[in-house]
Amino acid sequence: MSDARNLWSHRLAVDFRAALVVVAVLAAAPIVVTSPYTLGILIVSMYFALLAMGWNLLAGFAGQFSLAPAAFAMLGAYVPGLLDYHWHVSLAVGIPAGIVGTAIVGWLLGRVVLRLRGPYLALTTLSFAEIARVVISNSYDFTRGAQGLNVPTLMQSRVGYYYLFVAVVLVVLAGLFFVMRSAIGRFWLAIRDDETGAESRGIDVVRYKTLAFALSCAICGLAGALYGTFSQLVSPELGLLLQTGIVIAMVVIGGIGTLTGPLVGALLVYLASEWMRGLGNVQMIVFSALVIIFARFFREGLWGLVARRRVRALPRAAAGAR
Amino acid sequence: MLVVDLFVNGLIVGLFYALMAVGLAMIFGVLKIVNFAHGEFYMIGAYTYVLVALKLGVSPWAALPLAAIAGALVGWLVERSLMRPLYAGYGSWSIMKDEYAVVVTFGLSLFLINLVDKVVGPYPYRGPALVETSRFAIGPVMLNGQKLIAAGVSAALLIGLALFIKRSLWGRQIQAVAQNRLGASLAGIDATRTTSLIFAISGLLAALSGALLAPVINPSPDVGGFPAVKSYVIVVLGGMGSVWGAMIASLLLGVLESFFAVYVSYDYRDAFGLLILMLVLIFRPQGLLGEKVREL
Repeated sequence: MSDARNLWSHRLAVDFRAALVVVAVLAAAPIVVTSPYTLGILIVSMYFALLAMGWNLLAGFAGQFSLAPAAFAMLGAYVPGLLDYHWHVSLAVGIPAGIVGTAIVGWLLGRVVLRLRGPYLALTTLSFAEIARVVISNSYDFTRGAQGLNVPTLMQSRVGYYYLFVAVVLVVLAGLFFVMRSAIGRFWLAIRDDETGAESRGIDVVRYKTLAFALSCAICGLAGALYGTFSQLVSPELGLLLQTGIVIAMVVIGGIGTLTGPLVGALLVYLASEWMRGLGNVQMIVFSALVIIFARFFREGLWGLVARRRVRALPRAAAGAR
Repeated sequence: MLVVDLFVNGLIVGLFYALMAVGLAMIFGVLKIVNFAHGEFYMIGAYTYVLVALKLGVSPWAALPLAAIAGALVGWLVERSLMRPLYAGYGSWSIMKDEYAVVVTFGLSLFLINLVDKVVGPYPYRGPALVETSRFAIGPVMLNGQKLIAAGVSAALLIGLALFIKRSLWGRQIQAVAQNRLGASLAGIDATRTTSLIFAISGLLAALSGALLAPVINPSPDVGGFPAVKSYVIVVLGGMGSVWGAMIASLLLGVLESFFAVYVSYDYRDAFGLLILMLVLIFRPQGLLGEKVREL
């Protein structure tokens, strides 16, 4: 009975409940936090949380270490921006188009890098991300280059945006939970842990790897599209490799391969970095050092440390029976 | 005669690329990882050179070896503190070593950039030149003294490295560890020390490359990004892990880019290299020269 605690489905359920608590806290925050500035910071931190969850799906669950999440956020932000700028298409079409567009590009990228692993995959996705950014910054006639593009806003109310982001975070989180609980999630974990083994057991590796790419990139594109309309300006800086570095930092510090980890990591890192901005801009030094320390010594991240204490508290026999 | 000028200047740029890329290739050859902090070794070399020469008033010629020592030291420290889990059989990412390497070196790159940004400042420095000359022409080729000297030093270093790897005892140990770590350690080679040595050499070469180019590039904290991306392209083009392949690919890329920038598009010259990288990895992952040159 008690060793059921170590089962994936049980750990996932606990993980999901913890993540729901975090979302509930976020939803309740406007009761206390009323200043538009602070709400804005929270909105941006939720944008990063979405990116972190998207990247974690690909890297943490499916084991594909892409270095392109920020590039997909940039693409997702540019699709509604360009549609509005050139053809006056409304956001109601533009944002879904951004999500579908990034999903298709992600799926294609997934097809292309299918055989590549580890460092090869990292280099290819890094090249893709940089090419996308260079092309967007240099096609001045079409994208207005580094000046950026003005995007119409969805609504004037900042609280409205806040709840929109909370709702999207909740939907993405729940979606991840249900996918990870299903067979697809198990297939991803199997591919992550042993791709050859997974294939030999009849898992359609091609299909599930490309699916992971498409879904992960769609989440990043969604995050980018929403962020674009919130800030009303999209620029190629959204796709900087630095942004990808921040997302990776958030996931690694929070706990890779979990539901709560990326969410908590993104909120903590972004809020703390806003706080440290006042202490002399040391935030990136602190977080990059933390990433190295966490990767070196605590692979499971903050959430893993919390969850591991629960398992340790079990009787020895149960823990050993895993 | 623009063609000759482009060709020669492309070759010179290729020499600088090679200095960066061979270190990356050696690290890949031995550990099978990409060091995403390689550009920061270059940045550290450039800064050491500029700061020692400007702040301490030392002659640039003395600052050059100091930059090399700083790079070697950083490389060695990085290996000692962060790379051991990749082969020493401990560490928490035991099944995801490749991913551990990506995260750690990427984090290290951000750390070093932001540390220098905070400590030294975000503004670019103008480095002192080794010799002060204006541009001059040899036949159709436009050159300047700094470039010529830097190219000469690079060529000498590359030849020295090639001889070191081929002939010296340490170089042969490096080759052995690259071919088979377990086998090498069974034959009595200290594979751990050899890996440290490789990181030190790699840091030294990258730092020297940064120091030699410091008068041209005016180092700022993120200056390493550009040469690092070039060396990823080169290492892939030359066959991951091959030092000879990397040397040839560097010269090739230098020349190709120099022509591409003039005849096709200046704005997209950086995207061009990355496109090559993607295409090679997808269609010819063994590199242009193939398996034959895959020995270190």
